[in-house]
Amino acid sequence: MNFPILTFITFIPLAGAVLLIFIHRDKENLLRYISLGIVLVAFVLSLFLYFSFNAETPEPQFVEKKPWLAYGIEYHLGIDGISLFLVLLTTFLMPIILLSSWRSIQKRVKEYLIFMLILETGIIGVFLSLNLFLFYVFWEAMLIPMYFLIGVWGGKRRIYATLKYVLFTMLGSLLMLVAIFFLHSMYYKAMGVYSLNLFDYYNLILNPGLQIWLFLAFAIAFAIKVPMFPFHTWLPDAHVEAPTAGSVILAAVLLKMGAYGFLRFALPLFPDAVKTFLPFLAILCLIGIIYGGLMALIQKDIKSLVAYSSVSHMGLIMLAIFALNVEGVEGAIYQMLNHGLSTGALFLIVGILYERAHTRMIKDFGGVSKQMPVFAAFFLICMLSSVGLPGLNGFIGEILCLFGIFQVNKIYAILGVTTVILAAWYLLWMYQRVMQGPITNEKILSFKDMNKREIGYILPIVFMMFWMGIQPNTFLRKMDSSVTHLLNKIKERGIIFTKAKKDQDVVLKIEHKTEKKNTEKEEQSR
Amino acid sequence: MNSFFALSPLLIIVFAALLVLILEVFLKKDNKNYLAYISLAFLIMCFVVCIKFWNRGYSYFNGNLILDNLSLFLISILILATGFVFLLSMKYISLQNTNYGEFYALLLLALSGVIIMVSSKDLLVIFLGLEVLSISSYALAGLRRDDQKSSEAAIKYFLLGSFATAFLVFGLALLYGSSHSTDISTIIQYFQSEQSLTLMALFGLGMVIIAFGFKIAFVPFHMWTPDVYQGAPTPITAFFSVVPKVAGFAILLRIFLFYWDIALDSQAIFCLLWVISALTMVVGNLLALRQTNLKRILAYSSIAHAGYLLVAILARDNSSLVFYLTVYLFMNMGAFAAVIALSKKDKEYLELEDYAGIGFRYPWIGITFSIFLLSLAGFPPTGGFLAKFFVFSAAVRQGLVPLVIIAVLASLISVFYYMRIIVYMYMKEPSYKIEITVDNPALFLVLFLCLYGVLQLGLYPGNILLLIKQAVSSIPLL
Repeated sequence: MNFPILTFITFIPLAGAVLLIFIHRDKENLLRYISLGIVLVAFVLSLFLYFSFNAETPEPQFVEKKPWLAYGIEYHLGIDGISLFLVLLTTFLMPIILLSSWRSIQKRVKEYLIFMLILETGIIGVFLSLNLFLFYVFWEAMLIPMYFLIGVWGGKRRIYATLKYVLFTMLGSLLMLVAIFFLHSMYYKAMGVYSLNLFDYYNLILNPGLQIWLFLAFAIAFAIKVPMFPFHTWLPDAHVEAPTAGSVILAAVLLKMGAYGFLRFALPLFPDAVKTFLPFLAILCLIGIIYGGLMALIQKDIKSLVAYSSVSHMGLIMLAIFALNVEGVEGAIYQMLNHGLSTGALFLIVGILYERAHTRMIKDFGGVSKQMPVFAAFFLICMLSSVGLPGLNGFIGEILCLFGIFQVNKIYAILGVTTVILAAWYLLWMYQRVMQGPITNEKILSFKDMNKREIGYILPIVFMMFWMGIQPNTFLRKMDSSVTHLLNKIKERGIIFTKAKKDQDVVLKIEHKTEKKNTEKEEQSR
Repeated sequence: MNSFFALSPLLIIVFAALLVLILEVFLKKDNKNYLAYISLAFLIMCFVVCIKFWNRGYSYFNGNLILDNLSLFLISILILATGFVFLLSMKYISLQNTNYGEFYALLLLALSGVIIMVSSKDLLVIFLGLEVLSISSYALAGLRRDDQKSSEAAIKYFLLGSFATAFLVFGLALLYGSSHSTDISTIIQYFQSEQSLTLMALFGLGMVIIAFGFKIAFVPFHMWTPDVYQGAPTPITAFFSVVPKVAGFAILLRIFLFYWDIALDSQAIFCLLWVISALTMVVGNLLALRQTNLKRILAYSSIAHAGYLLVAILARDNSSLVFYLTVYLFMNMGAFAAVIALSKKDKEYLELEDYAGIGFRYPWIGITFSIFLLSLAGFPPTGGFLAKFFVFSAAVRQGLVPLVIIAVLASLISVFYYMRIIVYMYMKEPSYKIEITVDNPALFLVLFLCLYGVLQLGLYPGNILLLIKQAVSSIPLL
């Protein structure tokens, strides 16, 4: 396979952004159609990726590796069962997001589209990079377009929200950068060569004392992004102030980057530190679940209600990841996709309402379903998907997550279920107040039902919700080998360390040991 | 190789300075641009000479003036910086009524001073170059005669600068007293024969550090920076923010490259530099938070960058230091170019308020300025990120983890005030409109070149890294 498909998927949006610079700003529709075309091309390419993806092997596929700079900095892309669906989610949602902002963004359309396209490149790059330097470059570079999207096209308190978002994220990622430097120098001392390749670092075993510090640095960076409980305060601000499209992409994709970071970096690199921190992290997740749910209950603004529901749902996803078994991790990844779809859809729904009413306060609405029956139906489906109704996607993900958690700790699972209960409570209650009952506000009488464009972009999401609820195997089976491999890696490395003497060198070469283990396993299987 | 050629870059620049000074008499006040063209031609000539002499290693005056690859590389950086300043000032000085004939000549003389500084390894010769640079700088800072701020800047710079010079001379005397030489390599040989540094030598070294710390603007020797930066004409501020810094770090590089084994192992010097570096980063960035004047913000940011550069010295990684200096040249010059772009006849827009809505009214200025600010803040994929990456990773390799943590937290602070400028440019509605005329091709050339430099150095700096490697590896041969 010589065609560098991953490079194309990553950089086509960026090339499109460059193209847009040369088109006059007055031709707004032309700009919109071109950018829509570009993100559709990226989507089609990623579909091709899905169909030619080999589910048997856990190794990264379509790998591209080129030397770039000294010190082990390489251009190294690859995709496996974990990142595949996150990339697909991004490319799938991007055309929908552009369509949703077709009319609602009227000022500075050109800049808006350019930033959207750059953002897509950044996000896909994060999911595809296998070199820590490249990963960090995308991780940080992605902040800049998001900063502008919230800051320029956002609501009243947008400047506060966007600065808070950038500074919070930067705080975490700069500490992570120091940890990356540290790993880099450790690797150099142990092996005598520079490397920033993630898989080379999988062969490093570090002293648990060190692991704790490095894990903390990585975990804080990712926990801020997820966001986990004490680091979540930027999220409601950013969500409420961002334009609809910004909220969708923030909730649907950017939050997943944190969870992905845990799966790809923090957990396999520092397995012993994970063991130490596991109870603590689980409790943070539980606090997040319950706190996010309760906060969502009392919100007066629909958008911040959905934002807090994200805190709660992401808590469940993280808890399932920390269960460290196949059901939990697969459920978590699946739930990430579900959450991306359902929360994204809810933000789109809120955006549709806002375009008509120019308010998001629950008290301003009532009886909207009489005026907008089609809208009411779509709203209901999206909401039920978020609640986790059997037959829709959310159910499968939540069940898998809870299965995984239950195997590890029953109390956690019982407490984790509250996310479903609370979600049903605050979402149904909100639906009732907004959509049903008598029409309280005269403005509502002038609301028009959804137009074709709006139906057109909600429909694919609803279709995916049903498909993922009925046929989860299309997705889950592609993850199996990657997830199993990842979990084996975490366990294997933990075992090897306990065999090693505690007072030994900080860094051990373990390649030969793993080889031995593999041969032993093979012999046993014979 | 002992050859008269070693003098050629210096002679070209001095000749240009004198020529410009003479020609100035014959030119009308409106035609002063010709002086800039002539000077630029000489600068280009000097640049070509530097390229031609690469890998030759000339020296003259018994090796007191050397033209190794390091000095050639640094001279090229300095010429580039001065060339940018020339391009920036052509329109500026006639708009701001500072088109005095001395302007270009003084700049060229200052350049000749720094060329002496970076191409010598004798502390006395370095002192000579420093004086040439300083005296021209004092005059340049006070060039806007009818502006009180400018005069204040000149006086402040002069008084504090003289103090710093006194420190340098005293430190030199102490070093000479203990080693009987002013030549850096002889001093080193002397110290290498000793087991550890004597108190007198430590004092001497410390005073030399203080003197150059003043030029580079380390905290706590930074007090002059914001006032001088604010008072001086803006292109001169750009000059001050880059050129003396490059020279100062070149000398620290030459000293510590040799002293490293002894001096940096000696706790006293190491702790001194560690504390100065941490202070410079933190204080520089913290003070920048409160500023509303663009020139003052950039002044404090340049102080903070000196702190990051000192981390590279402590990390004993010379190539990352030189790379950082190169990137710093482009991003800082670019930022100042954008500031200069926002000016009209007898009026400069320097307050943050003035920048409200600029990003959409003047999109090219807005975009380029934002990229320079993001680069200064250290965002990928700009050169600023890669420079920080190299410096900090080298520092972690040397085990300076606490210092690097301080450094990244300091750059987090810096993100806030750099971002604030972008907030004003793109996210605030202007309360009043500012009108500028956008017809300054020279300035846009500078913007473009700096943009190119920042992006090229951030994405694919392979060739430059190779040159830098050649440059720093040539030193021990001498």
